[in-house]
Amino acid sequence: MSVTEILFYSLSAMAIGSALLVILSKNPVHSVLWLIVTFVAISGHYILLNAQFLGIVNMIVYAGAIMVLFLFVIMLMNLSTHKEAKKNKWLQMAGVLSGGLLLLVIVASLKGAEQATLVAQTNEGSIGLLENLGKTLFTDYVIPFEIASVLFLSAMVGAVVLGKKTETTKS
Amino acid sequence: MNAIVLSAIWGVVMMFCGAFVQNKSIIRTTAITGMVLLLIVHLLDFNGVHFFTIDTKNMLQFNSFSYLFTAIAIGSTLLYFLLSAKDMENVGIELAEYFALIFFITCGIALVSSFNSLLILFLGIEIISIPLYILTGSDKRNLKSNEASLKYFLMGSFSTGIMLMGMTLIYGMSGTFYVDRIAEALSFQLPAYALVGLVLLIVSLSFKVSAAPFHFWTPDVYDGAPSVFTSYMATIVKAASFIAFYRLLRIGFADTHYQWQLIIAIITALTLLIGNITAVFQLSVKRMMSYSSIAQAGFMMLAIVSMNGFGKEGLIFYAAAYSLATIGIFAVLIKMKDYTFEGFNGLAKKEPFIAAVTAIFTLSLAGIPATAGFMAKFYMLMSLVYQGGYTWLIIIAILGAVVSVYYYLRLIQAMYFKEGNAEMTPVSTGFKVTLGVLAALIILLGIKPQLLLNYLHF
Repeated sequence: MSVTEILFYSLSAMAIGSALLVILSKNPVHSVLWLIVTFVAISGHYILLNAQFLGIVNMIVYAGAIMVLFLFVIMLMNLSTHKEAKKNKWLQMAGVLSGGLLLLVIVASLKGAEQATLVAQTNEGSIGLLENLGKTLFTDYVIPFEIASVLFLSAMVGAVVLGKKTETTKS
Repeated sequence: MNAIVLSAIWGVVMMFCGAFVQNKSIIRTTAITGMVLLLIVHLLDFNGVHFFTIDTKNMLQFNSFSYLFTAIAIGSTLLYFLLSAKDMENVGIELAEYFALIFFITCGIALVSSFNSLLILFLGIEIISIPLYILTGSDKRNLKSNEASLKYFLMGSFSTGIMLMGMTLIYGMSGTFYVDRIAEALSFQLPAYALVGLVLLIVSLSFKVSAAPFHFWTPDVYDGAPSVFTSYMATIVKAASFIAFYRLLRIGFADTHYQWQLIIAIITALTLLIGNITAVFQLSVKRMMSYSSIAQAGFMMLAIVSMNGFGKEGLIFYAAAYSLATIGIFAVLIKMKDYTFEGFNGLAKKEPFIAAVTAIFTLSLAGIPATAGFMAKFYMLMSLVYQGGYTWLIIIAILGAVVSVYYYLRLIQAMYFKEGNAEMTPVSTGFKVTLGVLAALIILLGIKPQLLLNYLHF
């Protein structure tokens, strides 16, 4: 086993284990902390694929900014473990059933999938390097890139519309 | 391309209007001017005058189908502005921003009707959805509106997540985001992995078009949102999601039709049954209209089941017929004081003209001959008959149409045959003229559907 392989397997174990802990831990704050570990592991995967930029951005944006937001929301709402709402038993069963079915289908299809011809290029390949990323983004993908700005603009307008204080009208 | 660029620019113009202009009628006029301009520019584009020649790397593909649908969407939005722009003032103070959001949605509609890349599909669907979440919650003082908005946002983002998952699986199997290349890569038989991805895509797009069993958000959201915006959401936006749905399956997965046809057929049957049967029991016209919109979605799904030329013509025609009629009914509904069926009692005596045009819209939705709704339903059923093999679905569709006549005629019964005192806010002559134009269009399309469909064969 080469170093890359050892790294890959340990990162994968870390990602899956911490993802499980996210949904299994009772305390929401613990869930968020485990989610950070998951993101770090996934960032590690990106770096293994030689996509350093993506790895770092994933770390900064998800593990950094979004997680802080999550924590703030949880702390503001003051969620304690006792206040967990009682769920309908039938609803829970239905959830387990449908989730299990989805898992079954995905696992079955994974088993049937042919060996991919394009194997991930770990530790080599230059697709993920910042220079190449920038070049593709501004040549091949410039249309979606520009269109995304419309999306963000509309989200921004929306945030202002919802967040602006309604001036009390006379009368 | 003209429509995409100009609608985004005009959205920004409306934002600046909101910052610098206080006068509401100026804001309204700017918005309507923008829509007229957009329609003109788009029709020029249709006729070969392109203002922007941008190399989209084949990510956007324009053909007569996409041009025609975008033209219908812009035209309907213009009529909607003319009818209901005044009522938006009653929702809240950010009038200009509402218009800006609608312009952004128009940009999204132009995108989803001409995408050729899953990336653009995703962006387009999101540009349509995010402003809608906000418009749903724009009545900030109303708890029902807030609840609807939050519900819509949470479920909508969840379904977007499912869509992304589906796209990932399909990308993993075909190695490309381009829909036409996906069709080449997966032309004989979808491998199980891609099939799972396709099912996830179908689930999330069914959510967006409110097909059963993914329709649970629809009545609550349509009921909770301010009526002005419900009108827009239930018509133009829903039709646009259908076009995206159809386009994706038509270009990307037409060869493997036999593998997913049954799934769509079952979804369609459920949508028709649930929508029509639940609509019968509603007491409020607004809620009845939201269930009826689910039922009408079931009819539009027939085009996706059959996947042939008639279905393509029918879907365009259905989008136009349904949008026009529903915009009309909602425009009248907004003016009513009471949204229940009783609120319409005796409207014919008080406002004979408005009652008459409302009756035309209702008849068109029910699919009575000589209205556009009849031809639309006819095309849909014909496409399915032509396809063959789905007799049970045809029977369910016809039964659904029969049931729908009952609840649509209840509205006419209330207006014409019941005594009562229907209260209505006073309306202007311009409003009546626009309603008259809408009704005339519906009858004209019902008699001469070729007027619209000829453009498909440019």
